[in-house]
Amino acid sequence: MRFSDEMLMAYADGELDLVARAEIEAAIAADPEMARAVQRHQALRGRVQAAYQGVLDEPVPAQLSSLVLPPVSAPVVDLAARRAAQAAAPPAIPERKRWEMPQWTALAAAVTLGLFVGVFLLRAPEAPYVESDAGLVAHGELAYALTGQLASDAGAGEVHIGISFRDRGGAWCRTFRLQRDAPLAGLACRAGDEWRLQVLAAAAPEEGELRGAAAMPMAVLRAVDAAIDGEPLDAAAEAAARDAGWQ
Amino acid sequence: MPGNASIPPRGPLHWNTRNVIRFIHGNKNRGPDVLRMSRPSPFDDVRGQLGALLPRLRRFARVIARNVHDADDLVQVAVEKALTRADQWRPESRLDSWMFGIMKNAWIDEIRARRRRGKVYAPEEAGLNVGDRSAEDRDDALSVQAAMERLPDEQRLAVALVLIEGLSYKEAAEALGIPIGTLTSRLARGREALQALLADAPEAPR
Repeated sequence: MRFSDEMLMAYADGELDLVARAEIEAAIAADPEMARAVQRHQALRGRVQAAYQGVLDEPVPAQLSSLVLPPVSAPVVDLAARRAAQAAAPPAIPERKRWEMPQWTALAAAVTLGLFVGVFLLRAPEAPYVESDAGLVAHGELAYALTGQLASDAGAGEVHIGISFRDRGGAWCRTFRLQRDAPLAGLACRAGDEWRLQVLAAAAPEEGELRGAAAMPMAVLRAVDAAIDGEPLDAAAEAAARDAGWQ
Repeated sequence: MPGNASIPPRGPLHWNTRNVIRFIHGNKNRGPDVLRMSRPSPFDDVRGQLGALLPRLRRFARVIARNVHDADDLVQVAVEKALTRADQWRPESRLDSWMFGIMKNAWIDEIRARRRRGKVYAPEEAGLNVGDRSAEDRDDALSVQAAMERLPDEQRLAVALVLIEGLSYKEAAEALGIPIGTLTSRLARGREALQALLADAPEAPR
């Protein structure tokens, strides 16, 4: 029995139902030529995928990641101060033609200036966590980094991810460092859509190339030891868990 | 799940979450009203999930636009569009498929705008990021990318969504706004062309 090439492709792509799959598998077993055709489709799939895999490992440009950052939580804002800050800030997004570099640069500059105005004039404390019924939950940039960032993304952001692992209850946990005037480090574990903070500790300022575990306070390391089930994830497993949305 | 109790207090410098908060905020009570989490709006929902998707959106854009700067501009336009129309996204459908559809349409708009302005394509950059891999893998990635660039847009998008992004035929057809039969035939033709190109030119022509 012959199958069309499109059928074999659909088989290679995992698109067929159980019955059709069983028929093709029987045919493959009997016909080496058909087996080679299927193998060719599968190999091409792997090859094309591998050719673009490198893009996933690139750090995402700040121009893009800043678009999806949650707003800075500003608990108490003096209205007069905010108006003054808005007057001082340049118009947020100027009318622009798309795809022209100078406009992007101007936009980036406006956003950066706006951030500085926000941080230094409003003095809005960016809380990296909020309190919920279940305790402290990561918030803002911290929550964003815990969900999307890899340990290797030691980019320009304020958050550095340390190790990732599963705890004894099967939940994903990750250590992190918050770079700020008074650096913090901690351990957060996934519960539903949230990252619950298990420990948060003052960290020693990062010096030179000293990063990762070396910069983790003892309290965090002890919490990791108490929680971890097996070994921390390697880079590939970490990326896979991230891509699967920490399910 | 380990609670705070899992760290036994040892010595005076024991920092648990509450102590650190007292340390940071000087025991001041921050009004509980500002700390309550509210139900996310569609906008917050989409924005919250887009962060983790950005690497894949960039990858898809790289297949469409062929050039790093155009690709990142395309992602930016698509993310801005998605955020302004966040209420149109149905949470039961996949956000990635929805985004790929927005990107495809944004790219078509961009191509039309360039034609109107009489602007030619930016020159292609030799070699996308092929990661930290062996020379052999890198060469193969470059030949595959070169072959992909020679496919017609419609075939390249079908190949990208199914083979690279791992969408099902149905999801890919929906993202591209075409019937599933059209998708499978574009995919089949794209695959045949790639097989032929890669068999003829095992090495990158650059």
